[in-house]
Amino acid sequence: MLKRSEDEDGPGRGPHDLRDASTCQDVLSLSISSTAGYPVGGTEMAPSVQYHCACLSSSPAPPPPHLPSSSSSFHPLHTLFFCEECDAVRCNRCVAVEVSTYYCPNCLFEVPSASVRAEKNRCARNCFMCPNCRNTLSVVPSDPPENSDGRLTVPISAVGEPPFFLYCNHCRWDSAEVGITFEKPTGLAAQLQKFEDSAPDSLEFDRLKEHFEPFIPAASAALARDIPGVSKYNPSQGDEMTEYRSRVDIATASRMGTGGGDADVEYMRHLETVSEVASLNQRWTSSWATSFQARDLKPLRIPLHSKRSKRCPACTHILIKPEQKAQSVRYKIKLVAANYLPAITVTLPHAQQAQAEAARRSLGKSTAAAPEDDRGGSGVGMHAGKTYPFHLALTNPLYDPIQVRLSVQRMHVSTATTTSADGSATEKARRPPFAVSLPTSSFPIAAFAEAWEYEDDEDMFGVDDDEVGAGRGGREKDGRGKVKTVGVLEKRANVTVVGGEVVIGKEARGAVKFNMLVSYTYRSDDPAPSEGNDGSPTKSTKPPEIKTFAFYTVVDLGLIIPREDVRLDSES
Amino acid sequence: MDPPIYYSKAEFIETDTGNKVSRRATIAGPQNIILGGKTIISSGAIIRGDLRRTGPGHAVVISLGRYCLVGEGCVMRPPYKTYRGNFNYYPMKIGDHVHIGANSVVEAATIGNHVEIGKNCVIGKFTIIKDCAKIADNTIVPPNTVIPALSLFAGSPGRFIEDLPESTQEMVEAQTKQFYTRFQPLER
Ligand SMILES: [Zn+2]
Ligand SMILES: [Zn+2]
Ligand SMILES: [Zn+2]
Ligand SMILES: [Zn+2]
Repeated sequence: MLKRSEDEDGPGRGPHDLRDASTCQDVLSLSISSTAGYPVGGTEMAPSVQYHCACLSSSPAPPPPHLPSSSSSFHPLHTLFFCEECDAVRCNRCVAVEVSTYYCPNCLFEVPSASVRAEKNRCARNCFMCPNCRNTLSVVPSDPPENSDGRLTVPISAVGEPPFFLYCNHCRWDSAEVGITFEKPTGLAAQLQKFEDSAPDSLEFDRLKEHFEPFIPAASAALARDIPGVSKYNPSQGDEMTEYRSRVDIATASRMGTGGGDADVEYMRHLETVSEVASLNQRWTSSWATSFQARDLKPLRIPLHSKRSKRCPACTHILIKPEQKAQSVRYKIKLVAANYLPAITVTLPHAQQAQAEAARRSLGKSTAAAPEDDRGGSGVGMHAGKTYPFHLALTNPLYDPIQVRLSVQRMHVSTATTTSADGSATEKARRPPFAVSLPTSSFPIAAFAEAWEYEDDEDMFGVDDDEVGAGRGGREKDGRGKVKTVGVLEKRANVTVVGGEVVIGKEARGAVKFNMLVSYTYRSDDPAPSEGNDGSPTKSTKPPEIKTFAFYTVVDLGLIIPREDVRLDSES
Repeated sequence: MDPPIYYSKAEFIETDTGNKVSRRATIAGPQNIILGGKTIISSGAIIRGDLRRTGPGHAVVISLGRYCLVGEGCVMRPPYKTYRGNFNYYPMKIGDHVHIGANSVVEAATIGNHVEIGKNCVIGKFTIIKDCAKIADNTIVPPNTVIPALSLFAGSPGRFIEDLPESTQEMVEAQTKQFYTRFQPLER
């Protein structure tokens, strides 16, 4: 950042470059802004449904939603896999992963696995990372071409006068600052790797490796005994462990870098700006005691990326197998849960109405951004002591109709809280007391058909926009003359919308979050497993079997807005 | 299904292929711009089709595929460089199902299919973004950066954060189609 120098606002821009000025401003003001959560768009506040993978728990039932372990047991549907062999959901935590292709994320070159080891998992072509900001470096000649406006142009080709050096077009770091220049603009990686390989820490590591090589068989046998699935490694027989003698003794090693001990203290005493010290982030790619001065940072060869296959942890069947080509986004095998389980989305009609109203009002000022910006605004939240309907839209991905039943998982929260004036009352208030009603009977969802892909369907929203989401045909009055909200509200194509209701207690606080068991029956056309691999795959002559699959979800409707007086009471 | 996103019918021009272009967007050099169909150009967007390579005849400066969104206040400008003493602009090619968030500035050379770019981003000159990549809100991507397929970039400078799920393509395709369907006119 320090290096982003004063000449950012160079003179002499053409009229079409007016916008550049504001862009540069943005770059400056936005630098290192926190991107926690890395959002694209603004829908984090929306109610959500996540799906359970049972790999973390010993029982098939998930932890209650108010426990911290809940968040690591549930996942968005689109991140989950499905093993047909085990008839089970798998997640990224439990699948077994193996590398299928290595590639450089900058030059996109696919690296054969034989070279990966020799080149130490980094790109051996001309790809380097800025040690200061992690941007990709460019190779520039000593006479960088200058623009008419006095700014460095984007260095594109290394034609020009030697020596060449590496230059960062983001923070303006260059390798000449640390005394690294090149006579030719090619083969730089090999030259840098020579430095790396001859560094004392690297040599020490090689020596360590050599020393421990004979003992690996014993260690691997022990590992294979303790952890099933770890294969034995058995090249030669090792016996007693001998003493290791290091190349560099520890006293010398600690003085590498700036000098160690007193010299470092002295250096710190005379610091003028914090950025003179390399941050942890900038240093921890080095394996050992290196200088902590920012001015000693060396350019980094770019670490390789990989494409990975994923296997079921139980039966080792392949769930994900990418195409070999590094930049292809296609898969030879892709067994994702979204193709097996119904997708469920949840909405709060009262919040949607408030948003739609706001969008209409703000029309003319703003178009696309309007509905998102209003999230979390007035009318969207849920107040303690009130009752709210919610809608669950279930989409069937199967080519056969399914019959679905929903139920709320009982929460095992102790209800035996004796009301006292102090802490225990607060504890009780934190556990959101709310009651959820879901349709009690099962309901059908029609089969998926390609024709229903809404490619050109512009009539999706019907004629009367006020009726969006409110049932067509499903609405009934109950005994007290109120509109019925719990039950099937709408069926269209392979989507069924059902209504539920949540009654929020007067003293409730926290999130309205509950576990929901979804079970569905479907017709299985699969041949019986015993028919296996012999001969042609003959379809079973038996009538199609009706099978049931059940899975847990956690439904998060959002935070309760507590009543003011309640909040004051519990915090005093 | 999320609720509709309304726009004023008077503000947008709809083409035969379903592109919806705001009258409040600045489309410079429209003859050099290609929109693939069902692509939305929001109000306040600036698309610089006029910054074309020197030389005679027609030249495509900026092409966008189907189901794209250029957010409010975005600037789309072809990259330029001086090569062997000659200053020139170079074309910008953008694939299908690409959404660009509000107030981002894009000077990329190529953007693949199914790419999401957040709000307030700067995509530097000659950047190459491969299929199914995602750029988080407020990311600054320096010139000449290569963003591999299925990767999430964020920060300043934009850095690799994580690999995206295997189903990203289907997700983005569904979202961009749904967005187009939700984008509905309101007479007033
Ligand atoms: Zn799992
Ligand atoms: Zn490379
Ligand atoms: Zn840098
Ligand atoms: Zn399995």
